[in-house]
Order: sequence, then C-alpha cells, then structure tokens
Amino acid sequence: MNYKIQYTSQDHLITQQAQAEKTFLAEFAKKNPSFAEPMVVPNPYLINPLCALVLFKTEDKVAPTLTVHGKRYERENITHTFPAATEHYLPVLGLYEDFDNKVTISLPDGKTTSLTITTDKLPEDICRCINIQASLDYLGDNIMFLTPAGKNLPTAYDYKGDIRWLLTENTMFDIKRMKNGNIVTGSSRFCHMPYNATGMIEINLLGKIYKEYRMPGNYHHDHFEMEDGNLLACTQDFSRDTVEDMLVLIDRNTGAILKTWDYRDILPMDVAGSGSQDAHDWFHNNAVWYDKKTNSISLSGRHQDAVINIDYDTGKLNWIVGDPEGWPEDMQKKYFFKPVGDLSKFDWQYEQHACVICPNGDVMCFDNGQYRAKKKENYIKNNKNFSRGVRYRIDTDKMEIEQVWQYGKERGQEFFSPYICNVEYYDEGHYMIHSGGIGRENGQASDQLGAFLDMDNPNHELRSITVEEKDGVVLYQLETEGNFYRAEKLSLYHDGANIELGAGQLLGELEITEEFGTVPDAEEVFELPSSFHQIKIEEDEDRFVFFGRFEKGTLVMLLLENEDESHNYFVNTSRSNYLAMCSGAYLEEDDRDVKMHISKRGLKGIFNLKVIINDKKYQSGVTLCC
Amino acid sequence: MITEITEKEYETLDPATPKMIEFYSKTCGPCKMLSFVLKDISKQKPDFPIYIIDFDENRELKERLGVKGFPTMLFFKDGQEVSRLEGLKQKPAIINAIEALY
Repeated sequence: MNYKIQYTSQDHLITQQAQAEKTFLAEFAKKNPSFAEPMVVPNPYLINPLCALVLFKTEDKVAPTLTVHGKRYERENITHTFPAATEHYLPVLGLYEDFDNKVTISLPDGKTTSLTITTDKLPEDICRCINIQASLDYLGDNIMFLTPAGKNLPTAYDYKGDIRWLLTENTMFDIKRMKNGNIVTGSSRFCHMPYNATGMIEINLLGKIYKEYRMPGNYHHDHFEMEDGNLLACTQDFSRDTVEDMLVLIDRNTGAILKTWDYRDILPMDVAGSGSQDAHDWFHNNAVWYDKKTNSISLSGRHQDAVINIDYDTGKLNWIVGDPEGWPEDMQKKYFFKPVGDLSKFDWQYEQHACVICPNGDVMCFDNGQYRAKKKENYIKNNKNFSRGVRYRIDTDKMEIEQVWQYGKERGQEFFSPYICNVEYYDEGHYMIHSGGIGRENGQASDQLGAFLDMDNPNHELRSITVEEKDGVVLYQLETEGNFYRAEKLSLYHDGANIELGAGQLLGELEITEEFGTVPDAEEVFELPSSFHQIKIEEDEDRFVFFGRFEKGTLVMLLLENEDESHNYFVNTSRSNYLAMCSGAYLEEDDRDVKMHISKRGLKGIFNLKVIINDKKYQSGVTLCC
Repeated sequence: MITEITEKEYETLDPATPKMIEFYSKTCGPCKMLSFVLKDISKQKPDFPIYIIDFDENRELKERLGVKGFPTMLFFKDGQEVSRLEGLKQKPAIINAIEALY
C-alpha cells in the first residue's frame, strides 16, 4: 500500500519573509550596488507579485525619487520621493502584470537610472475588472483596494481597471491604513469555521508582515485604530455557545488584550432577530467605530438589524438605530429613534454593514436590506429588493432620526448585496458605496449568498460594484468579477516609512483548543486510515490543522499521545448550515471535507497523532512537536 | 441506566421521576460521541434514568417537544421540562443539568 497521510510543516510567513529579507540584505552588503547599477529584488516578501525592491548605496546622503511609469502616458506615472539616506531601500509598487515596467530613479543632482522590471501574468482565476468609470483627475494617486469574500485574493485596481497590487495570500475582511501608513487587515491563517482567522496582520504594501496580532477568540469582520494606535477588534469566546458578540482592545505593541466588551451584557439575545439570526450567531457584529467626541463605540449587528452605540468606559447602551419592531417596549422607549422629516423617503436599514459616525454625529452604514422586514410574512425577496448606502441624522435628546442621504435604492436588484459591503465618508456630500456581494442566477438577484453559489454553473455570476458619489454625481464606478468584502481607496505610497527592515513579530496568543473529556471505545489498529479520508496535516509554528473527508455522521476524534499524556479533540463531521458566510475562503466544495485547527498553546512535548474513526483507533505516522 | 424508547413508550414514563430524554440520529457524529459521554454518566449515576429516542423515527414527539435538531437533551422533573442542552456537550455540563433536577 503506497498511501501515506500527507504532512507538511511550514514556517510562519513572518519567518519566511525574515529569511528572504536576510538573504537579499546579505547580497546587498556583498554586492554593494551603486545608484547606476542598483540591485532589484522582485516580490521581496513573497506574496506580492506586482512589486519589487530596489537597493543601492550613495556616498552622500540624498533623497531619491522613484517613478513607476504608466502604461500609456506620463500623467499615469506614480512618483514618490524617499527620505535622504546613503543606503537606499526603495519599494517599487503598482507594477503592471505581464509587462516590461519602466521604473526611473532620480537624484536631486539630476542623475537618473532607468530600470525595466518584467512581471508575469497573474493567475487565471483572479477577479478582473469588467467595467470602470473613472478619471485620473478624480482618483489622483489613489487606487481601489478590494478585500476578498471568498477564495479570491486582495486586489487593487487603478483608474483604467488594471490590477496594480495583489497579495497571493487570502487576507480577509476589513482593510485600513493606519496613522503610520501601514495596512491592518485580517490574517489568512484558518482557525475556525466559517471564516475565523488567527487575528489581524499589520503589513506594508510590499506584503511584508510587521506584526500578526493573534487573538484567542480570533478576528472577524472589522477593526478600528484608536488615537493612541491601539486596535479595537471584533472577536468572540469559542468556549461559549454564541459567536461574534465580543469586542476587544488590543495593545498595538504587545498584542495583549487590554479591555473586553461582551454584548451579552448589553442586549437581550432572543429578540428582534433578522431573517438570518439563529441562537448561535444572535448579533453578528460586522463593524466597529469609535467616536472620540462622544467617547462611544458604535457596533453593527447584522442579525438584529441594529446599529448600537455604547459608552466606551462603561459599556452602557446609549442608543439603537434600527426598526424597533420586535424589541421589548421598555427598550423601544429608551433607546430607539422616531423617524421625522420626509417619511416617504425614509427606510430603516436591515442586515447592515460598516457603520460610520460622521464628524457631525450622523450615522452612515451600508444597508444590505436582506429580508427588509422583521416578520417572516413581510420578507422581501432578493430580486425585488435593494441595497444602498444611507446616512441618518440622529437627535439623541429628542430621540428622533431623519434620513438625510441614500444611494442605491433606485438601482434595485442590480445593486443588491445580501451580505458584506461598506460605505466611506470622505467629506460632506462625498461618499463611497461598495456593493461587493452581488450574486445573480439567470440575471436575477440570487436567493443564496454569493459564497454558496455554484460558479461552475454558467448562469451564475458574482459581481462587486464600487461607486463614489460627490454632491449627487457619480464620479467613479468599478465593477469586477467575484465578491469583495470591502473597498478602500488608498495611495500606494505614503509619507511614513514605506518599508522598515527587521523580522516581523508574532504577537498575542491563540486559544487553548478545547479538549474532549470522554474518549470513545475504539480498538487500536496498527494501520493508517483508508485513503478515502484524504487526511492531511499542516503544521505551523503555533498550531496545526487537520484535514479529512468523512461521510456525515462519522465519529472522529484526534488524539495527541505520548507516554505520559493524551490530548483528545472531537472533530465534528455534521452538516453545517451557515446563515451567514461573509467570507467563503475556507468553504470546501465537497461538504464531506472537514478541517480542524488545534492550537499548540498549553501543549508541551512530542506527540504521536492518532485518529479514531468510528470504532477504530488508527495510526497516522505523524509526530508533532509542541 | 440508558434505555432506548419510542414515542409510544415515552407516554408510559412516570412523570414524577426526574429523567433525561435525548433525541439522537444514527447519521450524526456528535450523537455517536454523546452516546459515550452518556455511558460514562450512567456509570457515575446508575440510578438516573436516561432515555434515548431516534429523532428521525419519532417525529410527532420531537415536534410536540419543540426539538429542532440533534443531539438534544431534555431534562424533566415532575412532568415538566426544566432545561435542555442542544448539541454535543461535555460530561460536566450534563452532570450539572442532572443535579439541578434534585
């Protein structure tokens, strides 16, 4: 029998990148490249094929200017001047794919060096721009970054729809530029279904990870940078029977959790459920926003059709924006708003995302509108529905609410996204509305979430549409293939350090994976499980992931055994019905395929991995070092 | 003591006796795991009656008791449901629910 359990052990990407950096820096020290003949490292941090690093030395301290030339004309050039130095490490960002890119570096004395950096074609299955309406005058140095909602990749598109940035790692959920110029987004490392990754990562646009902030309850959906640099992040406690109902404040330097808010202390869990609510995912917190003026936190809860606002210090509930139907009467009186103004144009938001507090205190969000009612008999079908960006003015003294802006209702089902999406406030009257979760069947809005659509069916399509509107005029529209969780308009270069050398840090900690106290009776056999199960183990520095294929209802348990101890983990092979699937990155095509992450935290020693499948305990031949 | 019953037999149970009724399915991995947990509990509390009922074959009863999925454990005292646990649970959670009946 040739069958073996597939086992891979891989360093964390931070370690791989540190090694790659060490290698090119050693070469740099050895070669001592001059300005006239600089050293070029394509994709220096392994995960961005549309970038390079140019390294050279100068005798005097000078400030070089780098230009990535546009494909068509000079106006398209991307130019950045770096701080004066004698050792220069210049990120080259925004290269075109499958192209001989012209890059020029110039010094203040007028000397220039020209380089050609050739890139490969990007993978076949990346999401392409289908339509774009934009101008260089409007976008300037900015390009549109989209974060994936499935197995697609984080991608950024320029004013012509050309892809100018792409990570080959499926980093997920929110993406925001921090005050230091770095990007914080979700990590790609799987932890828990349906879409929980280990934490957040802080990266530069070359793809170098400076920090991974691991969280015991993992990271999902959204984060927010506080004035002192610390991060608010959406999380949960996996030892409980509910999810997506906690928020933490994370120390930016150490990754330590400084403060926790538990929504179970704030809201009743069994009231006013949206069409997607179940007891497990009762709130579904998909956005967080801190407002300094009121020292309060706003939280979007998709599964209660509610944007709630709590006091930062006390956690006390201040108000709720949403349809009051179904909430207890005392809460309706105390926390809900009464619509005023032109009520013929007023709509509540349903299953919303991405709450934003405007400078004047107005509340904005992306109103997905899924079901668009509280009672089942009033639910609106997706192909009769609409999604929109909406802005409400709230008066917290009179507890009145007025809808002062919306974009999207007029587009009907064509712009309808039952999940994900965001809005951005740029200035008064200047907004972004990202409808990134469009799924269609036979040209109609599908009743399924995009992540569940069978894309082998030619009548199915996924789309993402990002619009920017100023004073009621649409100045930008990007339509792409695929579904994208959020859009964020950013420049490739910023005034901070566009690169910092040195090894990245793995901060915070994962959970101690819950063990199962009872071990089923099983006969130990000295053989491997059947090849049908396609068992695969991926070991990482701080955890391992078990993959296997099992018929529904199979009893499966993993055991880590050595002479002194045994750790036992139940593997659930039941069919899962997910009512929310904000990222399908970890979904398997065959629903018999299961995966389970086990953190190494709390484990010490060398263990043999064994697998109980129904009434037999099998060997795996895999030894894990914890 | 663990006994498998049907919905007909359920009607004959003494309502006064504290008991647990577990709805399971033969096609459910967590139910299989739970059967080992219940065996353990039965060893520890041999006098406590645990009844197991096939979810798929006793639909009228599961609907009457509002059981939506499997495994589901219902804890009864004086003929009234006192608590329920849904999904696979570990031994301490189940022991707690049993002890709360007395």
